[in-house]
Amino acid sequence: MKSRAGVVGPRGLTLLAVTAIAGLVLAIHGWAQHSAGGPLGSLSGSSTPARRPAGTAPSGSVPAASAPSYGPSASTPTAGPPVRPRTPASSPGPPLTSQPFATYAFVIWPGTPTSAAQAALTGLSVRVRQEGTGLSVTASVNGQPAGTAHFYPGGEHVYVVEASMGDDSGSSDYNLGDDGLVVTDTQGRIVS
Amino acid sequence: MTTSRVTAGARVNEVAAAWGPTAGRMLLGLVLAWFGYHELVQPVLWTGYVPAVNSTSDAAVVLVLAHGWLLLVLAVALVAGIATRAAAGLAVLLLAQIVIWLTATAGLSDLTLRDAGVLGLALCIAGSTEQRLTLAS
Repeated sequence: MKSRAGVVGPRGLTLLAVTAIAGLVLAIHGWAQHSAGGPLGSLSGSSTPARRPAGTAPSGSVPAASAPSYGPSASTPTAGPPVRPRTPASSPGPPLTSQPFATYAFVIWPGTPTSAAQAALTGLSVRVRQEGTGLSVTASVNGQPAGTAHFYPGGEHVYVVEASMGDDSGSSDYNLGDDGLVVTDTQGRIVS
Repeated sequence: MTTSRVTAGARVNEVAAAWGPTAGRMLLGLVLAWFGYHELVQPVLWTGYVPAVNSTSDAAVVLVLAHGWLLLVLAVALVAGIATRAAAGLAVLLLAQIVIWLTATAGLSDLTLRDAGVLGLALCIAGSTEQRLTLAS
């Protein structure tokens, strides 16, 4: 079959048909993953991408005092510890520096986030509060209901993980699959 | 010496003219394949791009899956050289929708302009009549 738009022969049609079937199989797999809850962690309270209307203030705006609020928050299974409700202190995890996503981690607490951290926070909102010997962290996706606070005993630093800034456009983060939040203790070990 | 340089330059031009559209077609196919595959296996990560639909809804997931499926088929068509101009033309429509939507919702940004570049590549492929390594049978 030939047209001005190109040529399609039997082999081409067969290849396209096989691709279409493979695509359907992948789609069924994707739907099953979606129905199972999706790959994102629970920091955002939702697995949907963050969006904000253009022109609004960046999510990195930080309230002063002891309750700084920064931009991001959604975690991938590899980007940080699972979020748990307030629990007794547990043994620390591996050092953040030993993790493959360490190079994409930007510190947001304590202190003022760098411009890179501000960019990594795009589309997300994180509130950190010192509570005794630990940190209470509330994270949510902008435009969505705020998440619940989670207490990290022994927490000392909070990092936002953003593997690729390429999915951030303006004030929106269109893909939270590479975003995460990590809390570490004084030794730089991940607190779970 | 001068003659050999001219000859080499002409040869480079010749190869570029002969294979440039084919290389562009392959690379565009790879881009579409990458996005199509990831939209299919992790659709919830992409629902934020769906216009005018609640990103948390099942409808958004279904639309992402359909979009990913179409991207994957177009990618194979482009890489294999099956009806390349038609496939590139469809890619132009898909990419134009993305660029227009991103521009309307978030304004001009690095993301939007990057997609505009890919849209330009798809336009070139759609207009190219000379392709090599095509599956014409």
